[in-house]
Amino acid sequence: MIATYIPGASWLHRCPAGLKLIALLVVSIVVFPLTNLWMLTIGLIGVAACYAPFGRDAFVQFKRLKPIALMLAFLFGFHIYLGTWTEGLAVLIRIVTLVLMANLVSLTTRLDDMIAAVEPLFRPLKLFGVPPQRPALAIALVLRFVPVLMSIHEGLAESYQARSGRRRSWRLIAPLALQALAISDHVAESLAARGGSSGLADTRMRR
Amino acid sequence: MALWTKGRAAARECGLDPFRSTYAVLEGASLELNGQPVLKDITVSLKERRIGLVGLNGSGKSSFVRLLNALRLPTSGVVRIFGQPTPDCAADLPKHVGFVFQNPDHQAIFPTVEEEIAFGLTQLGRDRKSAREEARAFLARHGCAGLVERPISTLSEGQKQLICILAVLVMEPQVLILDEPFTSLDGLTALRLSQKIAGLPQKIVMVSHDLTTLAAFDRILWLEEGQVRMDGVPGDVLPAYAADLERRAATESWTGSSL
Ligand SMILES: Nc1ncnc2c1ncn2[C@@H]1O[C@H](COP(=O)(O)OP(=O)(O)O)[C@@H](O)[C@H]1O
Ligand SMILES: [Mg+2]
Repeated sequence: MIATYIPGASWLHRCPAGLKLIALLVVSIVVFPLTNLWMLTIGLIGVAACYAPFGRDAFVQFKRLKPIALMLAFLFGFHIYLGTWTEGLAVLIRIVTLVLMANLVSLTTRLDDMIAAVEPLFRPLKLFGVPPQRPALAIALVLRFVPVLMSIHEGLAESYQARSGRRRSWRLIAPLALQALAISDHVAESLAARGGSSGLADTRMRR
Repeated sequence: MALWTKGRAAARECGLDPFRSTYAVLEGASLELNGQPVLKDITVSLKERRIGLVGLNGSGKSSFVRLLNALRLPTSGVVRIFGQPTPDCAADLPKHVGFVFQNPDHQAIFPTVEEEIAFGLTQLGRDRKSAREEARAFLARHGCAGLVERPISTLSEGQKQLICILAVLVMEPQVLILDEPFTSLDGLTALRLSQKIAGLPQKIVMVSHDLTTLAAFDRILWLEEGQVRMDGVPGDVLPAYAADLERRAATESWTGSSL
């Protein structure tokens, strides 16, 4: 659902990551108690307009709402059933606005800028002896290995289908988990080969 | 910058001399993994610019090269890298001995190419911004300006392996170890990358099954069941190795358990 960074030079790309995250927070806080449909609609149009720099690709981005479309339809249907369709519409607009805005932030912010922006939040970890760059590394690793695990799952599913005639099965969960563990061993080795998670410069934090 | 000099000072403290021409010395080095002997009493000195490692699966090639950057420590005997026994200088070795793994998907740590390259520089103590700039310049110098922003997962196999090699080279090690780096590549890509490797200033230790590429190396070690079966110039070792493969395939009967 959440997009990855698309390089570009729009004003949103130039805007500091911290500012974008704070704006997202502020908009979330403001939008939630809001019930006025007109104001909500203006907000939604405002966010959608920020997609302008992406031109035609903007519509591709709007398709990212698809996975939550069912949930939204259900919510809205529920409100109609209760006879509170205006409230349902307000909920719908709020969620769409926030998802589009969060998507916009991740589209226009490089991962390491995003991490640098949130790193100060991890600083208290130093008290427990955890270097603050550790969580940042963890986030990067997750983003790196989600596509890898997806392609491994794809491979397992193909191999399973080739011999069973059926697609997808819960049976693939165990081999997928095993492969994930094997990969984590390899990546730990690769990280160690390049100096480990605390870097080579600061000798105090090693080992 | 201060941090970076401190790292350098530490390298000097452990007495490691990266300009020594004999970069690795193994003295009776043995390695056991889970109680199984994997390398047995190996004694060699490595100083040639390009050294190739051949041997059957399970003969201990990967374990051997892992001794050279302290990813594994010998169970008995000594491994000296640039004059220092590996347990003592293990923490500083990544700066001097780069390691390229067989599968790029097991090596790349970061989601995008630029971050992957910049990581090595931040490891050496550069700040994020200058690491990023240097990474871009480095990629451009190696003809990869177009890949800077690409997610690693969208690269071709050859591009992935090249990025993995560059991610190690950017740390400017004196020795580069490659463990079967071309197994997942097509012939042309493998040829191009091995030309690139041949042109590097680093000393190279490469595990490979590609005897044609190894023919141009300076020295070949042939490992068999954890020992050095033969050690010499490619002109001697490679034909002997190939003949042994032929002989064994023709004469030894085999079962599934011997593969
Ligand atoms: N973690 C491990 N635990 C136990 N045995 C291992 C481990 N890793 C490798 N081995 C064994 O060590 C031997 C040498 O392996 P390796 O160095 O990977 O050989 P090669 O790279 O030549 O195929 C093999 O018999 C292998 O099964
Ligand atoms: Mg191996």
